[in-house]
Amino acid sequence: MIAGAFRAEMWKMWKRPATWVTLGLFGLITFADLFDEFRDARKDPEDPFFLPDAWGQILGQEVLIGFIFASVLLILLVASEFSWRTARQNVIDGLSKTQWYSAKVLLLPFLVALFLALRVVVGGSFALAGTDLSAGVTLFGAAQLSALGGMFLTGVGYAGLALFAAIAIRSSGPAMAVWFAWFAFGERLLVGGLGSLFEGLRPVLRWAPITTFNRLRDYIQYDSAAFRRAAEWAAEHERPGPELEALGPAIAGSLLWIAALTLVGWLWYRKRDL
Amino acid sequence: MKSASDVPIIQTFGLSKRYRQTTAVDEISLRVEPGQVFGFLGPNGAGKTTTIGLLLGIINPSGGRFRLFGGESAAELHAARRRIGATLEYPNFYPYLSGRDNLRIVADVKGLDSKEIDRVLDLVGLGRRAKQKFKAYSLGMKQRLALGATMLGDPELIILDEPANGLDPEGMREIREIIRGLGERGKTIFLSSHLLSEVERTCTHVAIIQHGRIVRQDSVADVTSHGVAGLRSADLAALETAVAEYPAAQWVKRRGDRVVAELDDGDLAALNEWLVGRGIHVSHLVFEARSLEDVFMEATGVADIGEPTDGSSGRDERRMGEVP
Ligand SMILES: Nc1ncnc2c1ncn2[C@@H]1O[C@H](COP(=O)(O)OP(=O)(O)O)[C@@H](O)[C@H]1O
Ligand SMILES: [Mg+2]
Repeated sequence: MIAGAFRAEMWKMWKRPATWVTLGLFGLITFADLFDEFRDARKDPEDPFFLPDAWGQILGQEVLIGFIFASVLLILLVASEFSWRTARQNVIDGLSKTQWYSAKVLLLPFLVALFLALRVVVGGSFALAGTDLSAGVTLFGAAQLSALGGMFLTGVGYAGLALFAAIAIRSSGPAMAVWFAWFAFGERLLVGGLGSLFEGLRPVLRWAPITTFNRLRDYIQYDSAAFRRAAEWAAEHERPGPELEALGPAIAGSLLWIAALTLVGWLWYRKRDL
Repeated sequence: MKSASDVPIIQTFGLSKRYRQTTAVDEISLRVEPGQVFGFLGPNGAGKTTTIGLLLGIINPSGGRFRLFGGESAAELHAARRRIGATLEYPNFYPYLSGRDNLRIVADVKGLDSKEIDRVLDLVGLGRRAKQKFKAYSLGMKQRLALGATMLGDPELIILDEPANGLDPEGMREIREIIRGLGERGKTIFLSSHLLSEVERTCTHVAIIQHGRIVRQDSVADVTSHGVAGLRSADLAALETAVAEYPAAQWVKRRGDRVVAELDDGDLAALNEWLVGRGIHVSHLVFEARSLEDVFMEATGVADIGEPTDGSSGRDERRMGEVP
């Protein structure tokens, strides 16, 4: 029955204009951004764009825009069920609260994967067009797979906060505002403020949710070749070089945050009247 | 041993819901038997919606307990809800989906196929508007869709929260017909309303709720079987004053162009004699069936149970029970 509820969730999603607007916008941004790379590479052989090196650009900071869209869409999909009172009606019609909530939780990784996949497919196609396939290099290897995994967790983390906001606030506009404020500056202000007031807190504050998720998002953490290139570039330009994160604790921390957010969201949802 | 059909469909025991400021539902005990068309009558804010929300498991009770189809454990209630079609307060649908797609969602949860959706759409007269988006529906169409959704899968119990809200008299009549049809087929129906006429015309049983408390619960026939006296004379004010002093009159009030009174002894001749003795000559004196409004007044001491919002049925309402 949870599978059935999730299927209904997908169906409602495809029918919702907001889905196509957010996917379309992110597709457009990705297209414009990577088409530029592609065209520049044609003009200037010094600045090539081919696989596997191009993954650095494809899986760059712009992926975060996709995660923001995924989070916004998730808030729209979940919070509006409360404004329309369909969250009520679904339960009246025979869905249990557990089934209802589970379907929304399943939507979370699905949406993040969808936006990530869009970026990979659009970007990968451009880069593939510029790649000399006869050279026989690995186009997509273990480094890229782990990078995708890490970024996926970052995205699920962002969207996990979004789901929590939607469940707790139950109204799309305010939920988006609160989520975005926390994401864009709220956490940084709070962590910065508390950190300067209480120095002893700093090791704990390092594990604030967005800070934790962000430790997993840099492509060069996963691709040693790209890391080397970044380090060389930094040395050449006398800038501080990149640092390697301890990925294990960051993954564990992110998973814990995601689990905690979904669990607290569930308890809150269950306790309140619909 | 009790047979399955003896088990009450709905049973509540001191069910309560308290909010910070108000007690919306105050220890109510209801009993709805199989096959009853049960009217849940009360003015706006009486606690009807809250009670239904409690039964449907979307509002957590502050006290008391209830049974659906005899079961009260979480698993039993979950199973029971699959035998119920219900609306609550508003037609709750996805505005961006068509009427048909909205029923698809409900049918999916209930595990029904699309034939059932077509059947129901035709039944509520939305067959030709089924592809239109819900948000483009008129309030009347929304109400019909909600009624249709409750009938998906032909459930044993149908719960309707103010199904006539926002309907014109014609629409109200159609809905009444559908509800009667369901009742005749032996379905149990629990219907809340603030309209006396609606309950009086469609229901077999009634519970009257006010300020979260049940003030009376009985069959409609029983409740309205006692007669009331309807009187007319040239000077209505004098007539009302006089009847109010009549020892056997339980209560008196003005209704339209006549005075209505409930008599302990039901003796019209004695009343007439007494009035004549005081110099009042009545031009009209009959026994009328007591309307639910009378019952409500008797039970609560308040004459007004909320007027219908549209004028046309309002006139109809006030004239209930009048003998021409
Ligand atoms: N969520 C709520 N919070 C606080 N008070 C509420 C809430 N829901 C209903 N009430 C109050 O409970 C009472 C009963 O409301 P309701 O059940 O909607 O009445 P009805 O359906 O009979 O019109 C009203 O006084 C209403 O204001
Ligand atoms: Mg109500």
